[in-house]
Amino acid sequence: MARVQAAAIALSVAGIAVSIYLTALHYAGVTPACVTSGSINCEAVLSSSYAVIAGSSVPTSALGIVWFAVSAAVWTRPAGWTQVAWSAMGLVTVLYLVFIEVVRLNAICLWCTVAHILVVALLLIAVTARER
Amino acid sequence: MSARRAAVRKPARKPVRGTPRWVLPAAVLAGIGLVVAAFFLYRWYVTPQQPRHASPDATQVVITQITSIPTSEFETVGQGTANNLLKPVSGAPLTGATGKPQVLYIGAEYCPYCAAQRWALIIALSRFGTFSGLHTTTSSSSDVFPNTPTFTFHGATYTSDYVDFRAVEESDRDQKPLETPSASDQEVYGKYGTGSIPFIDFGNRYVLNAAMYLPDLLGGQSWQPIADELRDPSTAQAKAIVGSANLLTAAICKMTSDRPASVCSTPGIQALEKKLG
Repeated sequence: MARVQAAAIALSVAGIAVSIYLTALHYAGVTPACVTSGSINCEAVLSSSYAVIAGSSVPTSALGIVWFAVSAAVWTRPAGWTQVAWSAMGLVTVLYLVFIEVVRLNAICLWCTVAHILVVALLLIAVTARER
Repeated sequence: MSARRAAVRKPARKPVRGTPRWVLPAAVLAGIGLVVAAFFLYRWYVTPQQPRHASPDATQVVITQITSIPTSEFETVGQGTANNLLKPVSGAPLTGATGKPQVLYIGAEYCPYCAAQRWALIIALSRFGTFSGLHTTTSSSSDVFPNTPTFTFHGATYTSDYVDFRAVEESDRDQKPLETPSASDQEVYGKYGTGSIPFIDFGNRYVLNAAMYLPDLLGGQSWQPIADELRDPSTAQAKAIVGSANLLTAAICKMTSDRPASVCSTPGIQALEKKLG
């Protein structure tokens, strides 16, 4: 397996871990350990109506588990358009969630940001590896 | 002949150097950065300014308006769009300074969720007694849901034949210390609180540790327009705030053994009491 694939799988596994953490806290009704300073406020984000999939009680972070799991699976194959397309889908979702944080809630959740950065990193790896 | 042709053949062109590998990822990153920067710019553009504080007379008009909502409107709205976040608890009944069942509020002026919940709490408690000394204020300008218009309990008094009300505003809107909870307040908060505010204890029978609606419902508005919207049961503000006030009223009725009947015996409140369990 190429080093680039191994790196992408490692990032995907890290994303799964973060998403599982946020999902478990949601069901436990606990706010994650997170700095609260001005607009940095995990509680404001994770207790908002946007923290669950519209019309359900399923936390948005559960979608993160699925996305990163599929990402880990697609990266078991050599880099190609599949990885680029999947990462681009992830980026669209990330941009929507960042829009909610910045514009609707005026609050940033650091744990969510970690997951967002992982998605962007996976996209960059996919684009770079596809170019080779 | 072919050797001659070969001799005059032009040398192969050197391959053109492709675009450097770092350009595409850098372009993707720059694009993402631009989009996120646009979000912040838009946020700055739409952030509500702090509304001008209402004069004492104007404040009194607003308070009179929101504390005289007719029973028919409470009945029409019911729970409205309010989230029932009241949690039943069991403990020794909490009583106040005059020995009546006590509603204990712990919050802060900077807190936007407290700002939202105060509207409903004032409306609910005004069905059991009378406030005086309420002043307008807004939540912090630098926190989430900035400049949410509200009132402060700091310096206000409440009298009722049915319940005692104790309010602790721990910080002002600039997060400077304002009031300190007593040892008994801290004991109740330590037992039933989750570490966040607002915290409202209804005689140790129910506790609320959040706002029942999102503060952005009030963003960018002044007090009088909100008060006007509360008189129309079909508005989003009435559905959220009057709906929250009805849930709080039901919790208070549970504390007072359904007194006064004029408030607690209405079909709407009775239905919500059943919901509370």
